[in-house]
Amino acid sequence: MEVKKSKWDRLMWTWKPPSEREAGDSVVRNLLLHWFPAKVTKDSLSFRYSFWLGTVSALLFGILAVTGVVLMFLYVPSVERAYPSVKDLEFTVSFGGFIRAVHRISAHLMVAVVFLHLVRVFWTGAYKNGTASNQNRPFNWILGLALLLITFLLSFTGYLLPWDQLAYWAITVGTNIASAAPLVGDKIRFLFLGGNEIGQNTLLRFYVLHCFFLPLLVLFLFSWHMWRVRKDGGLACVDKLALKQKSETTAPVKSKTYSLLGITRGRTVHVETALVAQDEHTVPSSPNLTRRLLAVMLITLTVVALLAVFVGAPLEEAANPLVTPNPAKAPWYFLWLQELVTDTTIHIGGLTINGALLGGMLVPGLLVLLLGAWPYLDKSSVNSVGVWFAKERRRQNLIFLAAVIFILIFTIIGTFLRGPYWKFYWPWQGWPEVPRRF
Amino acid sequence: MKNLKLLASEMSEGRRAFFRRIGQGTLLAAVAGQGYALLRSLVPNVLYEQPQKFKIGLPTQFPEGVTFIEDRRVYLFRNQNTFHVLSAKCTHLGCTVKMVNLNQPERVEIQGRQVEIAQEFHCPCHGSKYYGDGTNYAGPAPQPLACYQIEVSPDDGQLVVDLGETVSRDARLTV
Amino acid sequence: MNWKNRDWAWIYWSGVVLLLITGYVVWDNMVPEWGDYQSDFKELVAQRFGQARAKQVPAGIQQVWVPQLGRADRCTTCHLGVSWKGFENAPEPFRTHSKEILDKHPIAQYGCTVCHGGQGQATDERSAHATMVDHWEDPVLGADLAKTYLVKNREALLQINCNQCHRYDHETKGADYINYAKQLVQQKGCRACHTINGRGGMVGPNLTYIGDQSPEQYDYSRMNGVKTAFAWHLSHFKEPKAMVSTTVMPNFGFGSKEAQALAMLVLSWKKTNLPVEYIPGVKVGDVPSPEELAKEKQMETGEGAFFVKKTCFICHSVSTLGIESATNIGPDLANAAADVQARFGRTLEDFLAAPTGTMAVVLSTQIHLTPEDRAEAISKLKAAYQLKLEQEKTARPRK
Repeated sequence: MEVKKSKWDRLMWTWKPPSEREAGDSVVRNLLLHWFPAKVTKDSLSFRYSFWLGTVSALLFGILAVTGVVLMFLYVPSVERAYPSVKDLEFTVSFGGFIRAVHRISAHLMVAVVFLHLVRVFWTGAYKNGTASNQNRPFNWILGLALLLITFLLSFTGYLLPWDQLAYWAITVGTNIASAAPLVGDKIRFLFLGGNEIGQNTLLRFYVLHCFFLPLLVLFLFSWHMWRVRKDGGLACVDKLALKQKSETTAPVKSKTYSLLGITRGRTVHVETALVAQDEHTVPSSPNLTRRLLAVMLITLTVVALLAVFVGAPLEEAANPLVTPNPAKAPWYFLWLQELVTDTTIHIGGLTINGALLGGMLVPGLLVLLLGAWPYLDKSSVNSVGVWFAKERRRQNLIFLAAVIFILIFTIIGTFLRGPYWKFYWPWQGWPEVPRRF
Repeated sequence: MKNLKLLASEMSEGRRAFFRRIGQGTLLAAVAGQGYALLRSLVPNVLYEQPQKFKIGLPTQFPEGVTFIEDRRVYLFRNQNTFHVLSAKCTHLGCTVKMVNLNQPERVEIQGRQVEIAQEFHCPCHGSKYYGDGTNYAGPAPQPLACYQIEVSPDDGQLVVDLGETVSRDARLTV
Repeated sequence: MNWKNRDWAWIYWSGVVLLLITGYVVWDNMVPEWGDYQSDFKELVAQRFGQARAKQVPAGIQQVWVPQLGRADRCTTCHLGVSWKGFENAPEPFRTHSKEILDKHPIAQYGCTVCHGGQGQATDERSAHATMVDHWEDPVLGADLAKTYLVKNREALLQINCNQCHRYDHETKGADYINYAKQLVQQKGCRACHTINGRGGMVGPNLTYIGDQSPEQYDYSRMNGVKTAFAWHLSHFKEPKAMVSTTVMPNFGFGSKEAQALAMLVLSWKKTNLPVEYIPGVKVGDVPSPEELAKEKQMETGEGAFFVKKTCFICHSVSTLGIESATNIGPDLANAAADVQARFGRTLEDFLAAPTGTMAVVLSTQIHLTPEDRAEAISKLKAAYQLKLEQEKTARPRK
C-alpha cells in the first residue's frame, strides 16, 4: 500500500529522506549530495570541534565567486577606466556599493578564516594519521598550505584592481619585497608586473590571475583537499572516536579480513580498520549534515551582509605614480611582513643587512617550509589525532601559539602603530594632518 | 484527559507548522532579495553613448541636395530653404545604406501618388533598396527608412536632429 | 532531537536578520537623495509652467558625458534648472545658469566640473561638492570655499578653472581676479626670478606647472591654521619669509585681494591636455590671406556674382567681370558674345536655349537655368563683351 507521492516529494526526497535506507540512497541519487559520505559521525558535526572553519572558507569563496562574476560585468581592467568604473559602481550602479563591499569583506574574512582553519588543524593534530590504512593527512596539510598561499595571492591580485592610491602603492611595496629574492627576484618581479613598472600589463595580468587562473587552481586543489578528507576517513576526530571504541565493550564490529600472504607492510593479516559503530555514533548526512551546512551558510551570509552594510569598501584617490601616500602600507595580511622587513633592516657600522631579503623572503619562506615539514617531524602518537590541546603535543602547540602571537603582534604594530614615514605612533597619538589643496 | 492532551499537541503542531512556514517564507524572501540585487546591478542606469538629440551645424553650412552625416548615420536633405532628415540605418538588420544618385530623376508611384525621385538608397548587406524618400521597394527591408525630427536651435540657430522623435515622410523644416 | 531544532532556529533567525538587511539595502537603493530633488523640481515646474511641461522633467540619473575631456558629470541630476529659462531666481539647486557663459561653453561640450570643480561622477550632494570628503582633492570652487578664505567675491574662486584653458590669454572676459593677477605678474617682474610659462629666471622654483604640485610637498612647518596648498600660497605671497625662512623673495606689500588673486593664478598653472578645439582663440585650418579674402569677396558680390552663384565659374572665367576660374576647362566667357557666333554660327540666346556638346550635358544635368536665368546670363555676357572691347580699345596704341 504505497502512499501517492506528489511531484515535489519526488524531486525533494533526497533532502529529507524518510528512513536510514533512503538516507544512504540519497547520497548516490543526488548530484549535489554525492559530495558527502552516506553517514557522518556525530562528533564531526560538532561546532566546537572544528568551528566549521573549513566550510566557512569554502562558503566565502562561493560568495566571492558569485559577487565576483557580477563585478566582472561592471569593472573595466584598463588603467584609464578602472578607477572611473569603480567610482561608477559606488554611484550609478544599483547595489554596486553593496556588492563591492560584500566582495571585499568576504575576501578579508576568507584570509582570516583560512588562517584560523590552519590554526585549528594544528592545535587538534588533525594533520596526523590515525590508525586506518592508506591515510595521508600530512599530504592534505600540504594541500591546505598551498590553498592558504593561493588565498593570499588571490587577495593580493584583487587588491590592485581598483587602481587607486591604496592599491597601487600596496602592490608596489609587495612586489618590491618579492624582488628581494636572491638571483631570480628581479626576473620574477619583471614577469609578475609584465614590465619594470606597474602599468597596464600589470593590471591585466593581475586581473586574469585573479578572475581565472587562481580560482581555477583553488577549485582544483579544493576538490583534491576534500577528496583526501574522505579518503582519510573523515575529520580527524573520527580517528579519536575509533580509538576510544577499541576500549569500549560493545558488540564485536564486523571488520574486513584480508589474507594477504605476508605482503602487508608491518600489519597483521587482520587489517585494522577505523570502522566505527554505525548506529551509536553516526547519523545520515542527509538531512543532518545538510541542515548544519544550511545553518552555517546562512550565518556566514548574514554576517557578511551585516559587515558590508556597516563597513563600506574604501576608495582613495586615483593611482598617481608621482605621489606616494604617507605611509604606504601593504594589505593587512602582509603588514606583519612589512613590519618584519623594517625590523630586520639593520645597520651595523658600514654594513646594512637587507631587511627585504631577511624579513621579507627568508623568514616567511622558512616559516612556510617549517609548516609544510611539521607533520613529518611530529612524532606524537595516534592518541593525539583530532584532540584539542592534546597533552602529548603540548610543546609543539605552545611553539605554534608563540608564532601566531608573534604574527598577530607584528600585524597590529603594522596596522595601528605605524604612521607617516613609518614612525612609531601610540594609538592615542594623532597622526599629522594630511594637507589638502583647498 | 487524553483528548485535551491530544488537542494541545495538535494545536502546537499547527503552530509549529505555521512558524515553519513563516521561517521558510522569510528565508526565501531574503535570498530572493539578494538575488534581485545581484541581477538589478547589471541593468545600467547611465549610458556612455552619444546623445539622441544633437546639433549638426548652421543651415548655411550644408549644400543643396543630400549630405551624409557619417558619424550619426543620417542623410540631410536640403532643398533651397527646406530641410529634412532620413535615417541611414537599413530597416532589415541595421547596416548603413549607400546613396546612389540617379542620372535622370525618375517618376515612380509610391502609395498611389506619382513622385519624382533623384536618388536611391541601396543597402550593401542584403540588397535592400529604397527610393529617395525612404520608401523600401526591393530586398528584405520590411519598413521604409525612418524620418527624424529636425528643428532650429533657439540658442545659436544650428540645425538640431532628434533621433528620439520620428516624423511623417512629408514633414519639412523651413528655415 | 534538541540539536536539530537548534539548527533550525539558527537557520530561521539568520533568515530574519538577512531579510532585514536585504530590505534595508533594497530600500536604500529605492530612495536616493536625488529623487527628492527631482520631485521638488517637478512641482516647481508644474506651478510655474503647468503640468504639461512638468511631464518633460527627466527622471533618473542625468549624465553629461564629454569623452574629449574625460568627464562624466551627473550634476544635472539635481541641478535640473540650469538650461530652463525662467528659474533665475529659484533656490539652488534649481537655478538657471547664466546664459552668457553657457552660450560660449555649452554644457554638452564642456560638462560642469571642468569649470566648477567637484566630483562629477558622484550622485549625492556631499560627495559631488567634495568640499569635505576624503580622497577627492577637487572641490566645487564656490561660495563655501570662498567664505573659508574670506574672498570678497563669493564666485571668484571659479576663475582658477577658467585659467586652466585661458592660461595664455592676456585678459579673459569675466575673470577679473585672474586678469588682475596676470597684471601683477607683469608689473612686479616675477619672471626675473621664476620661470613662468616656459621663460624666466632660475633664482626661484619653476612655476610653469606649480598647480600640479601635490599639497604634501609644501613645507607647512611654519604655518598656523589649516594646512592647504591654497593657504600656503596666500601666506607666502603676503610675507615670503614667513613660509620660507631662507628666501630672497622680497615682500611686495600685497594685500588680501592681491594674495588671493595670485594664489588663484598660481594654482591654475597645471598641465592640461586640451584637445585642439578647446584651446581658446585658436582657429584650426588654413587661414586665407587678405588678398584671397578680397578676391573671394569681389567674386561673390561684384558684377560677375551671377556666374559664381550659378557655378559657371568652375569651368569658365569671365575676365572683364573679375571672375577667375580655377580650371579654365571652357573658354573665357568675356568673348562669348562673339565666340559663339564664330564657332557655332548661332546667337547667344539660341545657343543657351539649345546647347550642343559639353554644354548640352552640363545644362541638362548639373546646372539648371530658368528662362530668367538665361536672360540674365545673356545680358551679363553682352556687358562683359562690351567691357572687353573697351579695354582693347584703350590698350591699343592710338595710331
